[in-house]
Amino acid sequence: MKNQASIVGVGATPYYFRGTSAPQTVFELIDHAVLAAVADAGLKLSDIDGLAFFAGGFDPSMIMQQIGLDNLTFSHCVSGYGSGMAGMLDLAAMGVDSGRAKNIVCIGASQNVGKRYGQALGMLGLTPDGVFHAIAGLGGPGQAMALMVRRHMHRYGTRREAFGEIVMASRIAASTREGAIRRKPITLDDYMASPMLADPLCRLDFCLETDGALAFVVSSDERAADMPHPPVHITGAAHVGVRDWGRAFFWLNQSEDTFTTAGAGAVAKRLYELTGVGPQDIDVAMIYDHFSPMVLMQLEDYGFCGAGEGGPFVESGAIRLDGSLPINPHGGHLSEGYIVGMTHVREAVEQMRGTATNQIKGAKRALVTGGPAPVLMSGAILSNER
Amino acid sequence: MSTRSITPDLSAFEVPMDVWSEPYWHTAAEHRLVLPRCGACNTFRWPAGPFCPECRSQEVEWVAPGQGRIYSFTILPVAGPDKDAPPQVRIPALVTFEGAPGVRLVSALIDAAPEEVKIDALVEMDWLPAANATVPVFRLQNPPPV
Ligand SMILES: [Zn+2]
Repeated sequence: MKNQASIVGVGATPYYFRGTSAPQTVFELIDHAVLAAVADAGLKLSDIDGLAFFAGGFDPSMIMQQIGLDNLTFSHCVSGYGSGMAGMLDLAAMGVDSGRAKNIVCIGASQNVGKRYGQALGMLGLTPDGVFHAIAGLGGPGQAMALMVRRHMHRYGTRREAFGEIVMASRIAASTREGAIRRKPITLDDYMASPMLADPLCRLDFCLETDGALAFVVSSDERAADMPHPPVHITGAAHVGVRDWGRAFFWLNQSEDTFTTAGAGAVAKRLYELTGVGPQDIDVAMIYDHFSPMVLMQLEDYGFCGAGEGGPFVESGAIRLDGSLPINPHGGHLSEGYIVGMTHVREAVEQMRGTATNQIKGAKRALVTGGPAPVLMSGAILSNER
Repeated sequence: MSTRSITPDLSAFEVPMDVWSEPYWHTAAEHRLVLPRCGACNTFRWPAGPFCPECRSQEVEWVAPGQGRIYSFTILPVAGPDKDAPPQVRIPALVTFEGAPGVRLVSALIDAAPEEVKIDALVEMDWLPAANATVPVFRLQNPPPV
């Protein structure tokens, strides 16, 4: 069940520190990204006949009106917020594979004007199921995930030094990345001195909140062969829900063996089955890093190390640019910017084209993960080889 | 002396309820904790909802869950009452109960010295007034059992 579709164009706005993209609207940001992606693919806007989204998406009629997009035969949205992000690539591949559209633009954007993603649990206290989070004082996803992280530390002896290493590696990568928001390298002492926001998570464990938009054009492999850039094949993308992870940090009632993970085990299993690829075949991994400990837990879920071994694996230096599994060479959500996983897809495309800022030499296969959050969860493998 | 975790002021907080959670709040008004157990297959579920996800029965029994124990917790800095006041902490704790396998309740752990809060520490219930309900919070069991 391999896809026959490729990413052929990439477009992005600058990454703006939260709230600073005003007076542009989120649609203006999206418009810029779509136009840039279409140009990058060497296409005309009139070649675009499909849109794909996640997280509820954005009103296609507004995009059509603003940029003058004339005809769509496909506009769909996958479930899941950042969790479902990589599933959007599967949706776009389905769209072109099935002939429903020829050239589909995948769109993702965030704008923290008048609201903040980091306080997304605030509304939860207004529901009968969510009221206990409000009574407890859990106002954001990071505060609730801190409960999972502490249990992982308790069960496996995971150390804060490992979380610090994830932040340090991210900052080193971002230091050379033009447009990244946090580019100054930090030491372990800096990390340990960072104030606790949700013990055991300190300020540096929390990702950025960023404004911006990104867009990717997906076409069939056949058409991709004639486009300006080498195609980046969507080898496979999995979009999976399992009840025991379920509503993730909104629920907190997972079995012990799931509570101490990032909830991605079932996605990894399906993704590897679909593609015939295993963790040993991944050359570079874009791991959704909204909170640094969740990187370590996803590395376990995706089989780069065993359950509970994420701490020592990370502390060995494995995830650095010169390590055995370089992760987030663009700096990721912790240092470059956070646009709900979209920046990870862009980096995977640049790595597969061989044009990345911190290019991993000879990289043939990239993993992109959706965020640990309520199901559906997702992941994708992109490659410059079919 | 260290700062002890705050007791949140919930007096203006409106607890949202639905037909499935109301029995919980009726009992909470009497300062008693109960959790929902399936009337058909005896599986606990949380939060309360219309079906048992194991057997799809809609029968519910509300059961006192017994001794609580900290499964995990976090410590959040919170602003003091004024600018010069020392920083305070709020401690959300996730608690399991001896008599309710498979479910956990999250709430505030009040009046606890942060350095004394540990996974597996035993807790007892306390109750705070909200606008339309009485809400459960936790305290470290004191004195600790010998
Ligand atoms: Zn049942």
